[in-house]
Amino acid sequence: MHGAVGAPIAIIGAGLAGLTAATFFRRQGIPFLLYEAGSAVAGLATSFHDPDGFTYDFGAHFITNRLAAAVGVGAGCRTVESYGECVRVRGKFHRYPLGLLKVPRYLSDALRSRMTGSRPADSAAEWFRATYGRAMADEVAIPLLEAWSGVPATGLAASVGEKLGSSVWKTFYLKVASLRLRRAVASGYSHEMPESPDVWHVYPEGGLGLLCRRLAAGLDDSLRLDSPVEAIEVESNRVRAVRVHGREQPVSAVISTAPCHVLARLVRGTDALRPMARFKYRPMIFANLRFEGRGLLPDTVLWIPEPGRPFFRLTETTQSMPWLAPPGKTLVTADLGCEVGDELWKLEDEAIGHRCLSHLDEIFPGVREKYLGCRVLRTPVAYPVFLRDYEADRRRFEQSTGVDGLFSIGRNGEFAHLLMEDVYWRTLKRLRGVVAIPGRGRDLRCAA
Amino acid sequence: MASPATTPDAPARTGAPCREGGERPLALVPVRCCVCDADDADPVAVGEDFEYRTSPDLFLAVRCRRCGLVYLNPRPDNCELDRIYPPDYHAFNFSEGEFGFVYKVRRRLEARRLLSCCRSLDADARILDIGCGDGFHLDVLREYGLPGWRLEGIDPSERAVEAAGKRGLKVRRGLVQEIDLSPDPYDLALMIATIEHVDDPPAVLTAVGRLLKPGGRVVVVTDNADSPDAGLFRGRHWGGYHFPRHWNLFTASTLRELALNSGFEVESLSYVASPVNWVYSIRNRMVDRGSPRWLIDQFSLRTPVSLAFFTLVDSVLCWMGKGCLLRAVLRKSP
Repeated sequence: MHGAVGAPIAIIGAGLAGLTAATFFRRQGIPFLLYEAGSAVAGLATSFHDPDGFTYDFGAHFITNRLAAAVGVGAGCRTVESYGECVRVRGKFHRYPLGLLKVPRYLSDALRSRMTGSRPADSAAEWFRATYGRAMADEVAIPLLEAWSGVPATGLAASVGEKLGSSVWKTFYLKVASLRLRRAVASGYSHEMPESPDVWHVYPEGGLGLLCRRLAAGLDDSLRLDSPVEAIEVESNRVRAVRVHGREQPVSAVISTAPCHVLARLVRGTDALRPMARFKYRPMIFANLRFEGRGLLPDTVLWIPEPGRPFFRLTETTQSMPWLAPPGKTLVTADLGCEVGDELWKLEDEAIGHRCLSHLDEIFPGVREKYLGCRVLRTPVAYPVFLRDYEADRRRFEQSTGVDGLFSIGRNGEFAHLLMEDVYWRTLKRLRGVVAIPGRGRDLRCAA
Repeated sequence: MASPATTPDAPARTGAPCREGGERPLALVPVRCCVCDADDADPVAVGEDFEYRTSPDLFLAVRCRRCGLVYLNPRPDNCELDRIYPPDYHAFNFSEGEFGFVYKVRRRLEARRLLSCCRSLDADARILDIGCGDGFHLDVLREYGLPGWRLEGIDPSERAVEAAGKRGLKVRRGLVQEIDLSPDPYDLALMIATIEHVDDPPAVLTAVGRLLKPGGRVVVVTDNADSPDAGLFRGRHWGGYHFPRHWNLFTASTLRELALNSGFEVESLSYVASPVNWVYSIRNRMVDRGSPRWLIDQFSLRTPVSLAFFTLVDSVLCWMGKGCLLRAVLRKSP
């Protein structure tokens, strides 16, 4: 069952998920139109190159050799040789995650929580205390979660934790493989496909946009840039058409990558998506601070679970990808949680830079003298926030949008914290499911 | 706190290591499963051209979720064949002068295996070797087979045809689906280490079927994607991938399905011992991990010790029904 028979599928958004969907339908011989509100493809996978020779993304991203090979851009990717994370607790740095287990109170609490077992958790706070032990949860996991989400951990659903992966042993095994092979073996990065020492991080020449440009190659006839979808018309709980530039386009189905609350606003003719309008995304400011020198942080990523800091994560991308900054210079990206329109959101770039710098100087004395300036990226929809208030609705939405012929995919569309590779494989898996619905695949192809 | 991970400022190269002149990425094309026509596969391996370094590309082997075929996707476009089969490709010159003792032993082994497939042939049988390379198998048949057998070969490579011509063999250049061969039908066709290289196995097998007499047979020998070595080196280094030249890799069941789809009955399906994938799997892992050259050189087609050892290992596995190679004898359906 679907919308207008003989009509194309509408894909909303030409980011990684939308382009993956487009290439999938092209290979299946199913007609589609790919609508992108902006003037270029890539969405959140865009890379920015400033005139001083620094490259940065929306947050620090890389992909795997497996994804590069699947898309056919492997020849244009560089191997990421090392990657590591640290946590700063009480002024000391601990490697994440295994180094934290060297802290006696963390280890003893974690073992105790494992041995005593646990009842199902009602909130993220309970989940972390039951899984990591009270000490590590209260000093590390919960402060980070609250800074990242902007919500007390008691107000977040336990499913936040369920999205975290990898056993300690697997993490250890992959870490050893990484050190031995001198490749940043993916660990805790891919949930859709298996992780192994044969899968490691790479970074495309010129930035992540290479991936999207390759996927977009040959889509010209179906790609509509500068074409925001203004409405999705639903009739008898089936998708019927989309409205673009004030004109109605009949469609057989809609694949949306839009954030859920945006999708809920676009849909006309049904209340099925009304609960999704409440789904909240955490806005984020990425302050890209430029410095003289290299190796300012103890590792590529430094987590800072310290209330009172404007940032909860620092990433020195050049430790993993030295080519992202000119020789002898480095780039530290600070992640600042915020709300759209709040005091932080409205600050000038340099003011944000200086606010970060004053805190950085407390952690790394003398760093101020090396400071070269700051460039800021802002996004109103960085991470989904799993509030307990709408957890039941979120779980229903995980199964279906509730509207026949309407599918929501991708990082924002699925309201899930998906990493780059997962977006690709998961999108393919979900679309195979769409085509496999009895009758649908045949009907969609009939439109060709 | 350990010192931070540091790397040199010099830009790292992009892609896999490649030979001089091989820096340009290959033109790659997406493909579907050639057995069941599905486009529904999961990745199983990511690798590079460990053996000939013909391009900087990374390659992905996937397994069809419907039928289990392992295939390269995306794979090089047909226009790139000259790139991925360089002049030093081993099948263009597997000669005694180049491979010495290994050549002699393999020749004996292959003679025994080939003749076991030819027992029922008439004294004047016509035999066609498809993808014959430098004519190694035809040459073996000429020496050990019946003198009245009429032997012909076909291969798309000019270099292969030239090498076979030097052996005095009748080999034509082209693809079996396209070339206009003699109208007299053949009694037997050989596809030894060929089916995994071709772009459209069903089309090739169907074309072979048209060239055979009623009841004529084709012998297909190919890498076994379900073998223990494939399992052990599955994620990257398995020699059977032969990145990027093996485009389709079969199991007993997918080979059977291909045969049935292409108008053949499966007369027999068995396993053949071969050390090659073992040796290349180990070699690939060593190359990839920067092992010393002297150690890598112990694992190649020129090293009798490792070849002998893994022939023994694979013979035991064959006896257990898990050998490196699959051999299917297919009879043209009436």
